[in-house]
Amino acid sequence: MPKLIKNGEIVNDTYVWSQDPEETPTTNSIIAAQKWLADKDTLETKVAGIWIEAGDGVDFLEGIDVNQFDMIGVHFPAFADGRGFSYARLLRERHGFKGDIRALGQFIPDQLGYLLRVGFSSFQFNENVDLEKALLLHKPFSVAYQGDVADPRPLFLRR
Amino acid sequence: MYQYDAIDQQLVSERVAQFRDQTRRYLNKELSEQEFLPLRLQNGLYVQRYAPMLRIAIPYGMLSSTQLRKLADISCRYDRSYGHFSTRQNLQLNWPKIEDVPDILAELADVEMHAVQTSGNCIRNTTTDQYAGVISDEVVDPRPYCELIRQWSTFHPEFAFLPRKFKIAVNATDSADRAATQVHDIGLHIKKNEAGDIGFKVIVGGGLGRTPMVGVTISDFIPRADLLTYLDAIIRVYNQHGRRDNKYKARIKILVKALGIEEFRYRVDAEWAHLRGKESTVPMSEFERLQSFFSEPDYASLENNPDSLTAKLSESVGFARWYERNTFEHKKPGYRIVTLTLKKAGQAPGDATAEQMQKAADLADRFSFSELRVSHEQNLVLADVRQDQLVDLWEAAKESGFATPTLGLLTDMICCPGGDFCALANAKSIPIAAQIQETFNDLDYLYDLGNIDLNISGCMNACGHHHVGNIGILGVDKKGEEFYQISIGGASGHDASIGKILGPSFAQEDISSVIQKLMNVYVEYRYEDERFIDTYRRVGITPFKEAAYAKAN
Repeated sequence: MPKLIKNGEIVNDTYVWSQDPEETPTTNSIIAAQKWLADKDTLETKVAGIWIEAGDGVDFLEGIDVNQFDMIGVHFPAFADGRGFSYARLLRERHGFKGDIRALGQFIPDQLGYLLRVGFSSFQFNENVDLEKALLLHKPFSVAYQGDVADPRPLFLRR
Repeated sequence: MYQYDAIDQQLVSERVAQFRDQTRRYLNKELSEQEFLPLRLQNGLYVQRYAPMLRIAIPYGMLSSTQLRKLADISCRYDRSYGHFSTRQNLQLNWPKIEDVPDILAELADVEMHAVQTSGNCIRNTTTDQYAGVISDEVVDPRPYCELIRQWSTFHPEFAFLPRKFKIAVNATDSADRAATQVHDIGLHIKKNEAGDIGFKVIVGGGLGRTPMVGVTISDFIPRADLLTYLDAIIRVYNQHGRRDNKYKARIKILVKALGIEEFRYRVDAEWAHLRGKESTVPMSEFERLQSFFSEPDYASLENNPDSLTAKLSESVGFARWYERNTFEHKKPGYRIVTLTLKKAGQAPGDATAEQMQKAADLADRFSFSELRVSHEQNLVLADVRQDQLVDLWEAAKESGFATPTLGLLTDMICCPGGDFCALANAKSIPIAAQIQETFNDLDYLYDLGNIDLNISGCMNACGHHHVGNIGILGVDKKGEEFYQISIGGASGHDASIGKILGPSFAQEDISSVIQKLMNVYVEYRYEDERFIDTYRRVGITPFKEAAYAKAN
């Protein structure tokens, strides 16, 4: 079973990240948000979650109960493509998503500190990433100037 | 100036440790070239034509003499004993070794300095007026607000991987815009409204590069408490919608232009509606805390124009020239703002040797409360000099090559490092600056020509701000040969404008003679005391163009 980092530990991945739109979803599937939107009234099984492609934005979730999903994935087509940082934060702060937000795709371990601060909780790295080493990069800074998803108060309210 | 507390210090120390580990993993080949690239850029480290280049932040241009001495010392031990002050109030070292950079950053952290976010697609060093806090006509001192922005932008978790770099500049006076705010991604003009509340006029979408644009006003007044939530809203819209498919179309100016300012403003306001009034709203206590670092130094009670000054002004033409050009009115009677120019003939504009840095630090200790500023025009400034000590300072500045009395004149050029150093450059820029300095060496003539901004960039990235020079020179590559395109009519102040290209580019050896022809047209057409830029705006480009391309008889 593939491994990933979740809540600061290396764990087994219990979901299936479905990237093929032709694949039939199961209760373990994380399917593309656009596919879910198109098929949601006819889906035979309740999927575990959806994943958002860079460029999708999160406005399409307006009026949808996001907490029906166990997990929402955010895909990074390249690690320098930072749209997903805003998406995760909006999922937490605007849409009130309580479940697991998973980073998918080409992000790198050195981004973990920022990813955690904007609300990501699990990380499905590329296969070639050494997860033990990645774990060491979890928390590069012990303080922060800005508020974030964990603590919305900027330093000036805590100083 | 701002002093770190234990938290600020801890953050820069942790950054050094993080970068030390990243560098180690890169040198071990655990991190690929491609992965290391944005990580090193966010620590100011470029790989240049011959060697790496390290860009050290000088937040909003403020520098203590201790810090400047440290920079001099670092340049001696890790580089070739000089540095280059850039247009965005940074210092660049051109020859450090990659493996030494973590140690350099550690030494910088010892004097409350860093290279955080001086490069990369993130929020860069915030810049402001080099005369901040010492001129009489500013709304308020902009530096506490710059420090607020510095802290907010430092390691901002959401905005470290933007579509492209993001630059913010702050101005606080209607009388001038010395920070070129209108050609920044965001320009902030500090204002007081009718109720006497402090806030910001916000200008967005300015920038240079391949598609130069003057910014447009997105809001006439954002109360200061709301500044950070408003900036978050703008950059969140940009982060999600700015183009990522083409790096030359990725700056916020392209997004603003594509959407139109109305639609862009609508989206920002919609985002801001969710953020306004939330935790990032800045409380009065924080403004007071930040302002407390920029309280006035212990000024003596003095009169303007002491006898020693007026006597020297009447007896020494050299001193009078320097006083007229290189010093500026101070808000306190008996004081003067002095610019130490880094534009000596024979030295690249903005370059300072380690010895000059040490000398400048000594002058700051002796004459100006041990503080200096770095200006957008690549000079150093002593902000608080007693008028009765100006003669002593002038003598000392002359010895160190800081007293070339040409501030604001044709030869006070802005110039990027160009093809001598930079891997991006199409052409060299320093030899062009040298040629112009050699040709236009008659001070009487330069004074007669008056204020002219001449800016030189070695490529379209426009680090030398050629688009907003009254005269702009751009290096271009024509089939492997270096040529130079000349534009006129640019300006970077409150009357910001983008220059127009004269026509086909010129060979390197012809640049000075073309500039001479442009000056001849100006002198012929100008009304009494009319600046070059005003004559150009009145008569248009045609006579300049005709003169530049006229065939010799």
